[in-house]
Amino acid sequence: MAMEAASTGKKERRSGILQRTDVRAGWGLLTPAGIVILAVTIFPIIYSLFMSFNNIQLTTNGFQFTFTGLQNYKDVYSAPLFWHSVGFTIYYSVITVAVELFFGLLIALAIQNVERLKSISIIVMLIPWALITVISAQMWGYIYNGVYGVLNAILQGLHIIHTQVNWLGQPFTAVVSLMIADIWKTTPFVVIILLSGLQMIPKDYYEAALIDGANAWQSFWNVTFPQLRGSIALAGLFRILQAFGIFDLPFVLTQGGPGTTTTSLAMLGEETLFTNLHFGLGAAVAISTVILILGACLIFLSAFRGMVGEEAQ
Amino acid sequence: MTKPLSKRILGYVVLIAFLIAILLPFYWMFVSSFEPNTDISSYPPAYFPKHWTFQHYAEAFGQFHFGRYILNSVIVAVISTFIVLAFSSMAGFAIARLPVKGKRPMLIFLLIISVFPPLVVITPLYMLLRDVGWLDSYQALIIPYTAFNLPFAIWILRNYFLQVPGALFEAAKIDGSSVFTAFWRIFLPLTTPGLFTAAVFTFVACWTEFFMALVFNPSNTMRTIPVGIALFSGQYTVPYGTIFAGSVVSIVPIVLLVIIFRKWIVSGLTQGAVKG
Repeated sequence: MAMEAASTGKKERRSGILQRTDVRAGWGLLTPAGIVILAVTIFPIIYSLFMSFNNIQLTTNGFQFTFTGLQNYKDVYSAPLFWHSVGFTIYYSVITVAVELFFGLLIALAIQNVERLKSISIIVMLIPWALITVISAQMWGYIYNGVYGVLNAILQGLHIIHTQVNWLGQPFTAVVSLMIADIWKTTPFVVIILLSGLQMIPKDYYEAALIDGANAWQSFWNVTFPQLRGSIALAGLFRILQAFGIFDLPFVLTQGGPGTTTTSLAMLGEETLFTNLHFGLGAAVAISTVILILGACLIFLSAFRGMVGEEAQ
Repeated sequence: MTKPLSKRILGYVVLIAFLIAILLPFYWMFVSSFEPNTDISSYPPAYFPKHWTFQHYAEAFGQFHFGRYILNSVIVAVISTFIVLAFSSMAGFAIARLPVKGKRPMLIFLLIISVFPPLVVITPLYMLLRDVGWLDSYQALIIPYTAFNLPFAIWILRNYFLQVPGALFEAAKIDGSSVFTAFWRIFLPLTTPGLFTAAVFTFVACWTEFFMALVFNPSNTMRTIPVGIALFSGQYTVPYGTIFAGSVVSIVPIVLLVIIFRKWIVSGLTQGAVKG
């Protein structure tokens, strides 16, 4: 080392200084983003964890903390409503995402097979993606309205129903109505991801399948689907993560009702925190939600690894 | 290679059905925003309005505060987007091109951060904002929106900076320019597509965010569009005409954005999927 440094002399030292200024500049450039992320995400996450072990009261002197250990968690886990919203959030997410992946694949394949309408389809699909969820919720609320909603008019016109239905007023139809509104808004996102996956499949694979005498169905199962599994899994992961946080749609459409049927975890957390002002309990709900989400991610990723195998690594 | 006719026909049928399914609710909202109240709440509804009126638009922007909601949303989204672009391009450049340690952990850390739901940070932030008296202010939204959009923007821009040949950086240094000059004069202009992508994604995320806006800025003059529309309700009935008039106006910028930036949006979604 020493001999090498001596033999190259000046040049070596100069690049060492340059190297060091580069390192310093690097940290300098990382600092603003780092500070904001630490202050607004990392610090609050740790603070939430701390809050969840305390009973917190809002007094005239501000917030008063009393350490209560695991009491908040005991209270949360013994509340039937918590388990109800865990169940609702899970089955809601799994069903909507599964339906979205099915329709998404169908539509991506359709776009792949047509020559016109492609760019207009992209524009039309991106509008729901960029649409404020609250607006889509009001729009669907009007469509589902039990008194003057257009859905009743259409279904009565087709003689599928005979009397007007209050879609958001009964548990089963309320859940399905929420799911449809959600699927309407987020399927386009899935389509775009799957479409780009489809476009990356080499054309010769299909030609080889054609030469081997495969029909359309066989070439789908043996070429398209295996090649697309990575994109499907990633679109699914993104959507599951989003769906787990569902809040805007039930907040406007059902307010968590009828009763508590459509109370998601995020809605339960928000209610505990800001309607009932139980900050400690709310923090325990929030931390439990995070654990659930991280768990879901791990399950999904390990399933994904098993499905895609080594080639995705 | 042209596709067989049967496949193409099937493709068109599925695609057109899908496009109609997407557009119909919009048509319904658009049409209702021009109908007088008696027509909006009549059953069965008319599929094409019999009477047209601008009454709801006048109400939304005269009597009610939709103009203010839109202004609030624009201020918050535009300022957040600029801060995100500044901070994320700096950080993305450092991760892509400078010899800092721990790049991999940093990138993985950013991914994990973006998985956390807002629910877990919202209470501590609320308490903090309350203590410093920043509830119902623009910074109450700009700061968290910046933080939540930085991870994706840093990832995207890092990928773009990696595509610029590293030799350019060495050449700039030999010419005696500082790291910052090389970043500002050489790298940033070459990554404009990445900046557009990051900008559109941040803007849309800020424009549509509801949860934090609801909790941090509930007062009527500080509401953003989603909060204004969610909390807008009449005494006995939901005033759909006024809500839809405000909604139609606030969809216009999004439609323009999508038409102008669709290439970058698609590339952002795709990159997120491939590399994320």
